[in-house]
Amino acid sequence: MTRARLCWLALAMLALAQGVAAGPVEEIAQVLRRKGLDPPAENLLQTLAADNLAERLKQIDPFARHFRPEEYRSPLSGYQSWVGIGAELVPQGQNVLLSLYHGGAAEGAGIADRSRLTGIDGEKIAGWDLARVATRLRGEAGTTVRLTVVAPGGKPDTRAVTRQSFRPLDVEMVPPGNLKVLRIRDFVGGLTRPALLATVGFVKATSPDGKKFLHDPLIIDLRDSSGGDLYEALDIAGIFLPAGTPLATLRRSGGEHTFFLSPAGEKLLMPLVFLVGPDTASAAEILAGILQRQGRAKLVGQRTYGKCSSQTDQFLSDGSILRYTNSEILFPDGGSCSGTGLAPDREVAAEDFQDISKLVQKARTFH
Amino acid sequence: MKIQIFIGLTCLGLLFGGCAGKDYDPQKGGFFGGVAGLSSGGYKDRVQDREARLAQLRATQQQLNAETAGLEGQKSAALVKVGKDKARVSSMQAEIASLDKKSKALAAKDGADKQRVADLQKRTAALKKQMAKQSSSLDALEGSGLGDQEVDLRRKQLEQQRNALRREYELLMKMQMELAR
Repeated sequence: MTRARLCWLALAMLALAQGVAAGPVEEIAQVLRRKGLDPPAENLLQTLAADNLAERLKQIDPFARHFRPEEYRSPLSGYQSWVGIGAELVPQGQNVLLSLYHGGAAEGAGIADRSRLTGIDGEKIAGWDLARVATRLRGEAGTTVRLTVVAPGGKPDTRAVTRQSFRPLDVEMVPPGNLKVLRIRDFVGGLTRPALLATVGFVKATSPDGKKFLHDPLIIDLRDSSGGDLYEALDIAGIFLPAGTPLATLRRSGGEHTFFLSPAGEKLLMPLVFLVGPDTASAAEILAGILQRQGRAKLVGQRTYGKCSSQTDQFLSDGSILRYTNSEILFPDGGSCSGTGLAPDREVAAEDFQDISKLVQKARTFH
Repeated sequence: MKIQIFIGLTCLGLLFGGCAGKDYDPQKGGFFGGVAGLSSGGYKDRVQDREARLAQLRATQQQLNAETAGLEGQKSAALVKVGKDKARVSSMQAEIASLDKKSKALAAKDGADKQRVADLQKRTAALKKQMAKQSSSLDALEGSGLGDQEVDLRRKQLEQQRNALRREYELLMKMQMELAR
């Protein structure tokens, strides 16, 4: 092959590469222009390019994101099974807390929920970033990792945790289950509402006192719930309100408004308390906000994140995916939580916020 | 050195002597209790003790066997239920596959309401994904230690979710029939 031919080939490949990169960028601009909640300024859209995409998208829409096909996870997929210690890492200032899954390996090893992780296999984790901590916790099923933890209000303790295959429940019962404390971490379209109904039914069936069951509050822990499917959150709100009660209004691009009312169907009548905090966001915040404003639920904990908008995923021609904000959710009184969050009815101090037994005690005496 | 050995042996003697004097009940079964019981009675007493302990062990064993049988019974009943659930899920998956095929045919038809057909296709695809999740969750249940509270709860959740997915399927079927008219 001659040098000239090689040059032409290199130029052709360069053009092809630019075409591939530029294609989605123009497509992204079109989607944001036509379907974005508040169409962005044209001069910002004009500056979108393959090499500044992530940064510019954040300027246009703080919740927008572009995914390569291999890094995308559909919000419909919910929890899959995974191998690990059965806990989520919750950053809290310089500390890392372990939010345990009921029935997971860490719980089985006797670690308390919301324990502060201080060491892994004898090494102190102070100064490590979350990714490094997560990498060190990962491993094959059957392998063991030694975790040094400090339980809420407790002393340092080291426990051996054997990693195992684990599939979390869509709605978890927080032990002891008979206290009617449930935890929702994610709102999965079509799955979380029936899982919640099934769990409440299960707790009722195993409750020794049926009458007390109706009068004691149902406590739902949303502290680690960063959102999920908006319609699932609206469907769940509908379980707790009489048919026809206003739930929310969706404001979409072009000033289009859609009103949602509580549907007829199975209803839950017991008092309701949500445990909320700074990581409670989006769909979780919308559920808690609707029921708080309708006087149907009390919020106990700390101020929530402040994101009452909804995003949607658009598949682009090259197989990549654009997530962008397409609607804002307004509460029945016309207000929104965006930027401000929801103020709890009962504020809980930082030292008690991580202790589920203290939170539950406050929730049960407050409702 | 000799004085140290003497003090050591004296302490050891006091230790064993003290324990032997404390407890003579062989039924307690601990090391010192057992030693004390054996040394305090004749051959006949020891045989009676051992027979009594054997009877107690047999009773405990029977109790454990009964509990195990109960758990096994629960487990096989739960397995039968999971088997039925799996059959329902696979029949629903076949129905959804057929709905998916019809929706695709509708999309290709001239004059179809493109927006509604696209909505139908999107929801059918979502339903397919959720049913696949149901199926894999049931597979996981089959391999787990069925019978405990958490597994029972998981099965209840899956059952309620399947009922909800069935309602979504019926709604999509209606939609598809309207669009086909």
